[in-house]
Amino acid sequence: MSTSSSSPSSDEELIFNPNPIPKPIDDELTLASLTLTESNGNGSVGESDRYGGAGVVLEAEREGEREGPSSPSSSGYAGERGSSSEGTSNSRIGDEDDDGIQEVINDHDGFVDGVGDSSPSASWVPGKRHVDEDDASISWRKRKKHFFILSHSGKPIYSRYGDEHKLAGFSATLQAIISFVENGKDRIKLVRAGKHQVVFLIKGPIYLVCISCTEEPYESLRGQLELLYGQMILILTKSINRCFEKNPKFDMTPLLGGTDVVFSSLIHSFNWNPATFLHAYTCLPLAYATRQAAGAVLQDVADSGVLFALLMCKCKVVSLVGAQKASLHPDDMLLLSNFVMSSESFRTSESFSPICLPRYNPTAFLYAYVHYFDADTYLMLLTTSSDAFYHLKDCRVCFILIQRNNNLAFDVTNKGSSCVATVVRYHSCFQPLDPANTTVQLWIQWLVATVVLLRSNVLSEVQRSMLEGGMRVEDLPVDPLPRSSMPHRLSQQRILTQSPEIFSESIVGIGGPTGLWHFIYRSIYLDQYVSSDFSPPISSPQQQKRLYRAYQKLYCSMHDKGIGPHKTQFRRDENYVLLCWVTQDFELYAAFDPLADKAVAIKTCNRVCQWVKDVENEIFLQGASPFSW
Amino acid sequence: MPSRRRTLLKVIILGDSGVGKTSLMNQYVNKKFSNQYKATIGADFLTKEVQFEDRLFTLQIWDTAGQERFQSLGVAFYRGADCCVLVYDVNSMKSFDNLNNWREEFLIQASPSDPDNFPFVVLGNKIDVDGGNSRVVSEKKARAWCASKGNIPYFETSAKEGINVEEAFQCIAKNALKSGEEEEIYLPDTIDVGNSSQPRSSGCEC
Repeated sequence: MSTSSSSPSSDEELIFNPNPIPKPIDDELTLASLTLTESNGNGSVGESDRYGGAGVVLEAEREGEREGPSSPSSSGYAGERGSSSEGTSNSRIGDEDDDGIQEVINDHDGFVDGVGDSSPSASWVPGKRHVDEDDASISWRKRKKHFFILSHSGKPIYSRYGDEHKLAGFSATLQAIISFVENGKDRIKLVRAGKHQVVFLIKGPIYLVCISCTEEPYESLRGQLELLYGQMILILTKSINRCFEKNPKFDMTPLLGGTDVVFSSLIHSFNWNPATFLHAYTCLPLAYATRQAAGAVLQDVADSGVLFALLMCKCKVVSLVGAQKASLHPDDMLLLSNFVMSSESFRTSESFSPICLPRYNPTAFLYAYVHYFDADTYLMLLTTSSDAFYHLKDCRVCFILIQRNNNLAFDVTNKGSSCVATVVRYHSCFQPLDPANTTVQLWIQWLVATVVLLRSNVLSEVQRSMLEGGMRVEDLPVDPLPRSSMPHRLSQQRILTQSPEIFSESIVGIGGPTGLWHFIYRSIYLDQYVSSDFSPPISSPQQQKRLYRAYQKLYCSMHDKGIGPHKTQFRRDENYVLLCWVTQDFELYAAFDPLADKAVAIKTCNRVCQWVKDVENEIFLQGASPFSW
Repeated sequence: MPSRRRTLLKVIILGDSGVGKTSLMNQYVNKKFSNQYKATIGADFLTKEVQFEDRLFTLQIWDTAGQERFQSLGVAFYRGADCCVLVYDVNSMKSFDNLNNWREEFLIQASPSDPDNFPFVVLGNKIDVDGGNSRVVSEKKARAWCASKGNIPYFETSAKEGINVEEAFQCIAKNALKSGEEEEIYLPDTIDVGNSSQPRSSGCEC
């Protein structure tokens, strides 16, 4: 009933490319290998959708509500349109903005909660909203997506909306439901009530619940709860379990004091950050040499005893280096960057903070040194030494003094000794500092890294890349040129951007060639993805969120353990043509104009893969050898 | 953000069916009373903010069903309670006799770290009925039982008339609070890469 293959009633679903090892590189050949087999034997079903009038749309919406959210059939997608179709919205809660209520907030002057990848928080106000609400408030009840964290004794820990204490009764009810099922030696996972899904995740003494009518698949919501739990672990480690063992009435809210903003920012990112469902990270596009240079700086730091060194720009990686055998999971990176970016105090000064990487080791703390170079770019160094952590506070004072004396006499070419000398000289003014001390050496390495980065062109290149953006569907190479003639397509585009008048001519308002609107390419080996920049017609945050939700559904149906994994999926509804292609090496998600021709769309996907291949040195972090096992 | 720490206290109300647990809670939280008896199904939950010595608390009140068929809810319900309120009807000897069972049951299920000092409060309800003429449990008897169980505070209440309800809950809050005072410093481990060769040491030593 709710699997994609069994409900192709109003969209078409095709399986193509039975070849287990596709060759996306030689595009001409690949196209030939894509033999189309239509699962329902009727490739023209989409036509009726396409020309369907308002009546059909309404029917589809009602069907979507009845069928329940996990159905990836087109009726589910039809429901996604939500408030965009007028006349059905009276009792519906606004779909465009799951933070709001349609009756209260409309699309234009209301709070817009999803923004494009390039500016994820531009119009999003961090922090918790609607604190005055509780479960008796009508507005609270109408919110489209609730998240709760509570303890196994039913004490509230976090609620996305409303005041936790006022929701204590509601929290107790959730605990009662969970415990009742637990008493029967069973475990509750999902309750469906009309168009609402109540998803439960039980993590020892911590219960997480999501109540949603956004029609996202169960697997997506569960994945979001997992991340929410991970975020909590990142702040506190799993040692909280011990507290509950010792004392079941343990109240952990004081330990989480002031972290509301971290959770709400994570929940917000479920709308705009594909990393939350792809379990991959993305890099800021940079010239290969620039990224190498950044990596070299980080490597020096890593060699001095740091477990991980990351240079990030917002949630995109500039470069990262891990100590031997230490690997950083993309989910950890997501949670870490969310924690750092959402905590204002990291921006205002150089900071040290204990953090835990749940996928690396959920039981213990690491210490993070965070230094912001500008509003978006920051360096993170993770060390296991709490000793260094405390010592570094002193060292920082020293650094500030040196800066204040306007005497930043570091010989960056000769990184080690002269720096040590300088620092020791200044530091010893008020406290003896032993240059042989490993902590001191560690700190000096960090300091050097900061200075080297400041003096190199890495940071200016990062700024430039931010302004220029990444891959644009409009720039998809039209002709399958021989590879040698287009080694760096992204760089060519860079050059173009520098003469804006030429560039602006190339922008067309209808997306890329052959109706390509957007794509995400995920490299399986690299644990990385690249997403094209949004351009018209996917321009508003609402449209972007809707597209991400559609991708999310696609992702879930492709990875469905019961019927999957699938290799390809072609899906047409009144919003998009969605094409997904999964191979051993990559996953490609592409959205086209709903009128796009199937064969052309497939051909275009091959060109996208070729394009990604051509510029992979700039969009991916390559050869981060110590990074994975 | 408000740095002032708020405390949430979980309070469980236990007692035979029909002794007036829900009515007491309704009187306390909503200042309402209804003569009509409606059996609680499973459990009801109410919250009330209380001010006590310049601090704000939230009482999370778990009103449980008295009927035996709901007793299976046990462990999970009692887990992590800060205070347990035992209610009986002064007009029913059986409900008083059962206090012992309720108390025992609670201590077994909730298994608090210090059972001897776990805060209980006993309420003898329905003192208004028949002008006190149908009363079968004397205050003296009740107080003696409370004293024998480690000086449990005792209140005689009428949910209907609102007698002593406020005072009883003030005491409940106070006692719940006392039991939650001891706090420990939260100090998780730090990863030791040098000694444990495998960083993903989440309990899998193989």
